[in-house]
Amino acid sequence: MADGSRQGAGEDPDQELVARVARGEPAAVQALVARKLPRILALARRMLADAGEAEDVAQEVFVRAWKQAPRWTSGAGRFDTWMHRVALNLCYDRLRRRRETPMADPPDRADPGAGAEQGLQDADLARQVEAAVAALPERQREAVVLCHYQALTNIEAAALMGVSVEALESLLSRGRRALRGALADLAPART
Amino acid sequence: MDTERYERLADVYGADIGRWPQDERDAALAWRGRDPEAARQVLAPAAALDRALDAWSPPVVSAALRGRVLASAPPLRPARRGFGFWLTGAGLAAAGVAGVIVGIAGSSAAVSNARADEILAAATTDDAGAAFTLLTVSGRPVPGRSA
Repeated sequence: MADGSRQGAGEDPDQELVARVARGEPAAVQALVARKLPRILALARRMLADAGEAEDVAQEVFVRAWKQAPRWTSGAGRFDTWMHRVALNLCYDRLRRRRETPMADPPDRADPGAGAEQGLQDADLARQVEAAVAALPERQREAVVLCHYQALTNIEAAALMGVSVEALESLLSRGRRALRGALADLAPART
Repeated sequence: MDTERYERLADVYGADIGRWPQDERDAALAWRGRDPEAARQVLAPAAALDRALDAWSPPVVSAALRGRVLASAPPLRPARRGFGFWLTGAGLAAAGVAGVIVGIAGSSAAVSNARADEILAAATTDDAGAAFTLLTVSGRPVPGRSA
């Protein structure tokens, strides 16, 4: 599971840290980067399937976080959720641009067939999973990434995606079913 | 909770009941307690998919990216020194050196390049002398301990 916490929506474990960032404390800046950069980078990487673009998104999220920190108040929800929303919006922008502007060089997504019949070394296995996730329809991929990899609660994920919990569950169910089919060798269906 | 709902939750959220909706976890645990073998059979395929998905590890944060993110942080809290400090020999020397450094090497690019190191150094020391050292590196207001 990812390193995200699963506290209730009313608590914000980052509140004090964000306040210290707003006061310009160097240790707090470093701590926020250590705590959130891997998480935000992972989100962008799994949404975009492109390492370079994911780094650009992660960097931009932090540029906005530095500006947001002094304005952040305790009743504004969780800072982690806010960072996820910013990252997702930046990912949407890039995915939309991809659709509108065919790229000369496609992103460095894995070959779905790579390693399918080879010994399941860790790297091959990871590539298969990456390809299977990348092949999901965008909203299903988003639901799986938020709930499985980012370990957000169903309520948080549904809110971020702007859908009901029931709709989220439908997306998750379809997404996981598709993944089970794509990764049948690794995750056999129930008999 | 009935079998159908238990299967649905495993299908949607995976085999880890800790990921299931908070308000249904107790009922799910109770259902599992009543028939552990049936629960195991329901959860097995979901657990297999969870394990497969976890084979895709998160990316490693490169030192270059970390440096760029740290360098984008806003100006750090200025060192808060009493006015008396600036009247001492050390204070006057610091002000003089800072002025020279800013004039000679204080281009925006140079300042930007020094930011990541500045934050890292300032985050790991409370020493006022180190803050003075940072001033000579970046030519910017420096971080420091509150009075």
